[in-house]
Amino acid sequence: MSLHPMKLVTIVCEAILEDRLVELLREVGTNGHTAFPVHGSGNQGNRSADISEMANVQIQVVVKPAIAETLLNRLQSELFAAFAMVAYESDVRVLRPDKF
Amino acid sequence: MDFVTAIQSNLLSPAVLFFVLGVFAAVSKSDLKFPEALYSTLTIYLLTAIGFKGGVAINEAGISTVWLPALAAMTLGAVIPLWAYPCLRKLGKFSISDAGAIAAHYGSVSAVTFIAATNFLKSIDQPYESYASAFLAVMESPAIIIGVMLGKGALGGKFSFSDPGVRHALRDAVLGKGVLLLIGAMIIGSLCGKRGMASVEGFFVTPFQGVLALFLLEMGMVAGRRLGDLKKVGLFLLLFGITAPVLHGSAGVLLGHWVGLSIGGATLLGVLAGSASYIAAPAAVRLSLPEANPTYSLTAALAITFPFNITVGIPLFFELAKYLNA
Repeated sequence: MSLHPMKLVTIVCEAILEDRLVELLREVGTNGHTAFPVHGSGNQGNRSADISEMANVQIQVVVKPAIAETLLNRLQSELFAAFAMVAYESDVRVLRPDKF
Repeated sequence: MDFVTAIQSNLLSPAVLFFVLGVFAAVSKSDLKFPEALYSTLTIYLLTAIGFKGGVAINEAGISTVWLPALAAMTLGAVIPLWAYPCLRKLGKFSISDAGAIAAHYGSVSAVTFIAATNFLKSIDQPYESYASAFLAVMESPAIIIGVMLGKGALGGKFSFSDPGVRHALRDAVLGKGVLLLIGAMIIGSLCGKRGMASVEGFFVTPFQGVLALFLLEMGMVAGRRLGDLKKVGLFLLLFGITAPVLHGSAGVLLGHWVGLSIGGATLLGVLAGSASYIAAPAAVRLSLPEANPTYSLTAALAITFPFNITVGIPLFFELAKYLNA
């Protein structure tokens, strides 16, 4: 079994941003993503998620290291300032690198 | 019936009492919580039901009766942000984007406040034009578009339709779930007419009051959870949250009276003008005016104006409509 190093990028943000983020993910060259509804709190206060307008989403995507960097850079320059959002990357290893 | 009796009969309706229970549940930190999916389901039910009922009423009344008051309603929705914006900028000292965002919320309308008002009219046997939900449908979008343009700095010539945020907002304002369901169900209702109504009545009409009571229980909790934010928004917005509905609502009643609506119809137009949106506007505004602080507009609309309208506003606009008609 051979495992290949990749990056897992995780973005937690306001759910109304989901469509725009998925657009951005496609633009930087990702092939897919996973999204789940989440709730919690951050430095912009309690994200109660009680009504859909206040809901939050966590988006995860596995990408090549270069893409992860472009993605995080674009998040920083286009969205961080205005929206409740955190994003981070971590190292993962996958079996089928051509899938990502 | 005088104002005090009108307020009393409004306060003692199941809808308002469940709202109060919801506020209590949130304030007392009870573990009662509606799943978000139920909130969405109830919203879809309420919007579809009133859209359909309104459509059937348009079919009965004929479009020739409906267009003038509907046009008046739409104009009013578009004008409210135009005066609210300078007022928020000059008197409230809000930033351009915050003033635009709040103006958009107050020009747009709250469907639930409207439904609570039709409920109130029914409970006191006051007839109204059932096609009034058409006003609700046409008042939702114009204010959002104008508020967003103002918030983007349209007055300083800094506005462009090619901005991706603006494009999303326009799409949300015109095709968002609220407008789509309302107008869609209204077209279906007006095509089906009375015969269509007979086939869905058991689902869309009979259980309506119960669903509304349940929805207001949830709205009470949503509003109650935001009471803590009242401290953050400042005295000006607290006053604005009460004065704006009274001013806009009175303008709505007057306009309704002028275009020939009955007492009930003028009351409803007043309630619509006096209400502030918290479904269509927040989503559209958040994407297009991200610099605006959503705590201001949502707290004002949800924790001040909405409770004010469903308790005091509705009977107030009714009394005004009655006074004008006397």
